[in-house]
Amino acid sequence: MNLNENYLDTGVPKSQLKHSRSGNLECIPIVASTSEPTTSVNLDETFFKKAPLAVPISDNRSISKSASINSLNTTYLASRGSPLQAKKSQTKTGVLSTDLATSNNDIMQASIIPKKHSDLYADWGNDIRSRLAESIYSMETSVRGSEIKRRPYVSNEIPNVFKFSKLNINSEPSGNQVSCDKNFLIFTSAGKPIYSMHGKDEQIMSYTGLVNTVISYFQVNGPSELKTISTLTSGKRLTFLDKSPILLMAQSERGESSNELLNQLDFLYSYILSSLSERQLLRLFSKRENFDLRNYLETTDFENLNEICSLICNRMFPDLLLNSLQCLPFRHSSRLKLQNVILQQLEKRQDIPRGTLLYGLIIAPQNRLCCVLRPRGHTLHTTDLHLLFCLISHQFQNLDETQELWVPICFPKFNSSGFLYCYIKFLPNDTQSNEKSALVLISAEKDAFFSLKSFSDELIIKLENEGLLKKINASKGFKLSDIPAPMVHHFIYKSKQNVQYVMPHFEVNSKISLESSQRLEYELKLKTYYQQLHSTVVRDNGNILSRSILNFVKWSSKDSKDQTVDETRLNFSELDEYIIGNSSFEQESVNMLGMAWVTPKFELYLIGNNGVVDKKVLFKSARKVATWCQKHESRLFISDGAVF
Amino acid sequence: MLQFKLVLLGDSSVGKSSIVHRFVKDTFDELRESTIGAAFLSQSITIHPNDGGEVKDVIIKFEIWDTAGQERYKSLAPMYYRNANAALVVYDITQEDSLQKARNWVDELKNKVGDDDLVIYLLGNKVDLCQESASTEPSPESNKGEDDEQKVRVISTEEAKQYAQEQGLLFREVSAKTGEGVKEIFQDIGEKLYDSKKDEILSKQNRQINGSNNGQVDIHLQRPSTNDPTSCCS
Repeated sequence: MNLNENYLDTGVPKSQLKHSRSGNLECIPIVASTSEPTTSVNLDETFFKKAPLAVPISDNRSISKSASINSLNTTYLASRGSPLQAKKSQTKTGVLSTDLATSNNDIMQASIIPKKHSDLYADWGNDIRSRLAESIYSMETSVRGSEIKRRPYVSNEIPNVFKFSKLNINSEPSGNQVSCDKNFLIFTSAGKPIYSMHGKDEQIMSYTGLVNTVISYFQVNGPSELKTISTLTSGKRLTFLDKSPILLMAQSERGESSNELLNQLDFLYSYILSSLSERQLLRLFSKRENFDLRNYLETTDFENLNEICSLICNRMFPDLLLNSLQCLPFRHSSRLKLQNVILQQLEKRQDIPRGTLLYGLIIAPQNRLCCVLRPRGHTLHTTDLHLLFCLISHQFQNLDETQELWVPICFPKFNSSGFLYCYIKFLPNDTQSNEKSALVLISAEKDAFFSLKSFSDELIIKLENEGLLKKINASKGFKLSDIPAPMVHHFIYKSKQNVQYVMPHFEVNSKISLESSQRLEYELKLKTYYQQLHSTVVRDNGNILSRSILNFVKWSSKDSKDQTVDETRLNFSELDEYIIGNSSFEQESVNMLGMAWVTPKFELYLIGNNGVVDKKVLFKSARKVATWCQKHESRLFISDGAVF
Repeated sequence: MLQFKLVLLGDSSVGKSSIVHRFVKDTFDELRESTIGAAFLSQSITIHPNDGGEVKDVIIKFEIWDTAGQERYKSLAPMYYRNANAALVVYDITQEDSLQKARNWVDELKNKVGDDDLVIYLLGNKVDLCQESASTEPSPESNKGEDDEQKVRVISTEEAKQYAQEQGLLFREVSAKTGEGVKEIFQDIGEKLYDSKKDEILSKQNRQINGSNNGQVDIHLQRPSTNDPTSCCS
């Protein structure tokens, strides 16, 4: 195999390669990492038994290296060494034969290191501090963000225990593939690159060739297709989605499960379909297998792919993880009125035949669904809506209400071989913010524009007259302080029946602009907390473990003492405890408790304030959150929409 | 008020949307996103036709289809130009093949629309780029096209002008960035369309005035949406 130099680690000691003991194996590190000295990963025997052709991935942090870093400047040992993952796969080995489990040795190593070093200095003031913190947080009057000025003296920022979010915070899609902890690649089955989030063409070329070889090896020899290659020590994961004639690959060090990565890849694939449609795609490749799709895609496609990738990687975007939509909180009576106005308008316009107007949507800023008009018995798939939302929030954000758009989009989950036509118009907004809601009318007919335009013109006048437009523009969602649940930093509540979720506004960094690096860092941090919470309640295949679960997850900088305390489990809960990170003098000690609560009706993911360690206290707040959400369900969620 | 339908056609990134936005809002956005599908906008102008020595104001409302230049959306184009009264075919004077694309559009319009009343306006956009390169100092704006900093004119005025004359098109070189020539395009089209439809308009006006009230009248001029001459205007 002819590899580009960029992917060859020059500093790999020969002794490290010994582990590839099978004679026919070549050990080639294919992912370049940071400038730090690299070593190749030790792959244990099971790896080689299961996967005859192994592709070891170089690791930027050998065990000894990270130990020395820790003793000096104490960056948190990244969680993606993933004791969690390790622990999970320990119990579930053999579920996916191609999903390569991490070894026991690894867990030992990973958990020993923080202990050793935290012994040096970690524990001295933690106890008092956390008790102090807790006593302050416990006062009912000091609910965060409430009108009362007695705010807690302890910072209500949550600490960052994830190394990558500091490393990689400004990772806009760039030409620099080196030093990224997450990457997406799309290429054809013939090995031609189509898209890469990071990395220049020359870098990608050889890479795709290699990956292609690996994949086709499994296609030819394996009983099942190759889904994931994981490495043991670094938690690096390569996940593949084979959608011939297109192959997609995700590379991540962030500890996501294969299933999560597969979902992300499927979303990228869905985007390509939304732009081309499956029929077109197959047609292009049916003539020539080595067709270069890049020439056919447009700059807008690459921009949109960039945008989607950065949304997946860097922004708080739980939509994919939870497979649900975010909904705009709106007064129930107003929502009913809104739906009635739309239905009346439809009634009035009998001249518009059924196929002409399939769906209608009002989408509030930040991709929050406000209203749905749909035929009885039909709903749009969340993936399709996510794609539409991405387009609207990115591609059309500069547009104003003076123009109307007519855009053909293939909704892959609705019908992957045909196009629907979207009439898109931004609604006038006389308030200060320049964020605008959009009205989308979806039709199956390509020349229905003027029917839909007149429908929309009349509808908007009506909405304005009824004062509904003002209400849509004024709706700001809710804040955590609206809910009498102390000690909660943030939560996501998903209503299973409605396939929608809500979350409070970010209060902590509300003054920071949406695009600033601080905001990005915050979102990435929060996202990772949630991702880890979520992974405690799902199986490898993405299904929820059981109908009712209550899991607590703790991120802590303390050592073994806490572990024993935490052995006392709540009797109905399945507890996943693990310790991540290593604290330093400068940094706030990490003592985070989060919980994932799944019931047949809802899923609640909740992150407590730093310093709150009592599970019962947190659960009490969680109950309050759940009760509040259920009480306001008709305000928070769209239950039916306007059905015709 | 007269209402005319207008469509913009041309290769991608020649500046169709920029021309429209210069006309509709008098703004220019350096980093404009590519158009997906098509955008529908409207704007009114006033022309001062001279009818037998008597100068009067006529308001003309343009309904504009700003189409995507990308190849992928080509099959949708007939829907936009089918009912048009005027078509702006845009090319980029710094892009050699954009004029060829423009020629293709002109051919298609002549074949498919087959109406002598359709006003076709050939527009060479981005003259600002060449004016700047003529001056000695390289301007900061010229890094707009990141890959090749210095843009040079590759399509001469004469070449395009000659082609326009052969085909009987209106022709102008403009800059959406500076606004040079943009207003004039629409003024030209307004006057030309008014001229060609004058008789029709006046007779309609008279009929309406005689028939009912002599207040304001809206006249919509649309060609039938199908080739069937008996079909009615919507």
